[in-house]
Amino acid sequence: MNKFFKKRLSLINFIFIPIIFLWHPNWLGFLGIQPYWPLFWLLPWSMINGSINGIIFGFFIGLILDSLTLDSNFTQIPGLILCGFWFGRIKMHSDLLLGHFRYGLICAFGSFLCGTLYFLQILFNNFSDNNFLMFIPSAQNVLAEVFLTGLLAPLICSQLLRLFIFFMGDKHYKKFL
Amino acid sequence: MLDIRRISTNRWWHKKNSWIFFGVFLFLVFVRISKGSLYKDFYYFLSKPFWPGQFQKEIILNSVEQESLIEVDLLKKDNIRLREILSLQEVQNNDDISAAVISRKTGSWWRQIILNKGSRDGVVIGSTVVGPGGLLGRVQNTSLFTSSVRLLTSPESKLGVWVDRIQINGLLVGSGDDHPNLIIYSKDADIKVGDFVSSSPASTLLPPNIPIGIVKSVGEPFQAKKMAKVLLLAKPHVIDWVQILK
Repeated sequence: MNKFFKKRLSLINFIFIPIIFLWHPNWLGFLGIQPYWPLFWLLPWSMINGSINGIIFGFFIGLILDSLTLDSNFTQIPGLILCGFWFGRIKMHSDLLLGHFRYGLICAFGSFLCGTLYFLQILFNNFSDNNFLMFIPSAQNVLAEVFLTGLLAPLICSQLLRLFIFFMGDKHYKKFL
Repeated sequence: MLDIRRISTNRWWHKKNSWIFFGVFLFLVFVRISKGSLYKDFYYFLSKPFWPGQFQKEIILNSVEQESLIEVDLLKKDNIRLREILSLQEVQNNDDISAAVISRKTGSWWRQIILNKGSRDGVVIGSTVVGPGGLLGRVQNTSLFTSSVRLLTSPESKLGVWVDRIQINGLLVGSGDDHPNLIIYSKDADIKVGDFVSSSPASTLLPPNIPIGIVKSVGEPFQAKKMAKVLLLAKPHVIDWVQILK
């Protein structure tokens, strides 16, 4: 039983993404905006399991998160699928210190990608209203999200990656521990 | 040799008493013309230590409060009666549901709160949610134990509202920041900063006369419509308990 859980630790962690997305702890926020939590899980998962898995689980997370939010016209799926694909292409680095900062940069860029795609959907949806006032808070949303995601990713992603590799027991990846 | 007659001492204006009498007379004339204001002011200072004290002030304030409560109650009854006559939507305050906010997204793309009462407690989709201050939003989705509320600040929120001072209906549209836009489809609407916005008496989605906010800034007219930013009275990012109106 214990082995069963250890083998599937990454999938068990997956369940907690929507919960932390809903929890939305204010003390972790910046200008009332949170880091983009799903990327912290998607990066290590895709790096270990490759692009195809990244795309599939990007789609799954997107589906769950879309069901939790009330905005029926906009979706987070395209951003997460693109990120899943891109993260899967990234090779792991044995230099630990460099690795930490790489994760920060990658996640920040991923969050920028997701945020921009979401914003574009809102912009196209409200195109007829000529409501360009919406541009300012949205840009603030994207920038604050990028900043926070980039700040927290080195801490969370590298720990999750180590955890996944350690419990998966794959010899090929053990050298990165 | 004729004696010089010393008449000077005999004239009335040489007498001190006459001048005193004249002074008093002038003073009385002044008092008469000023309608006793000098006396009243004098009395003000004289009676100051004996004025009704703080205690009496409290009694009066209590009475005033009670009076206004009774008046509000009477007006409410009157309002319900008139609404029945006009067959408008009725205000129902008897079966509100109190709920706690268990998840709050007020700062990013998604502007929603999740409450700890769901369909099991009788919450239905479309119910109005109010907090201290006024309207927060409407229930958009319910599960067995929870209900999700779309806040007025959400870009997908659109509600009919009423500006009481100029007696005009408008549309409150969330803009993705903390201050939703009020759109009035009239170029000449005399909307001003400080105008009070409440839910529309003609609305079919919301109960009437729920306070919503105050106009914060007014934009230039554009394509036969006027736009204003509204400062909401209820603050969703700090409220922990809300009321769900059925």
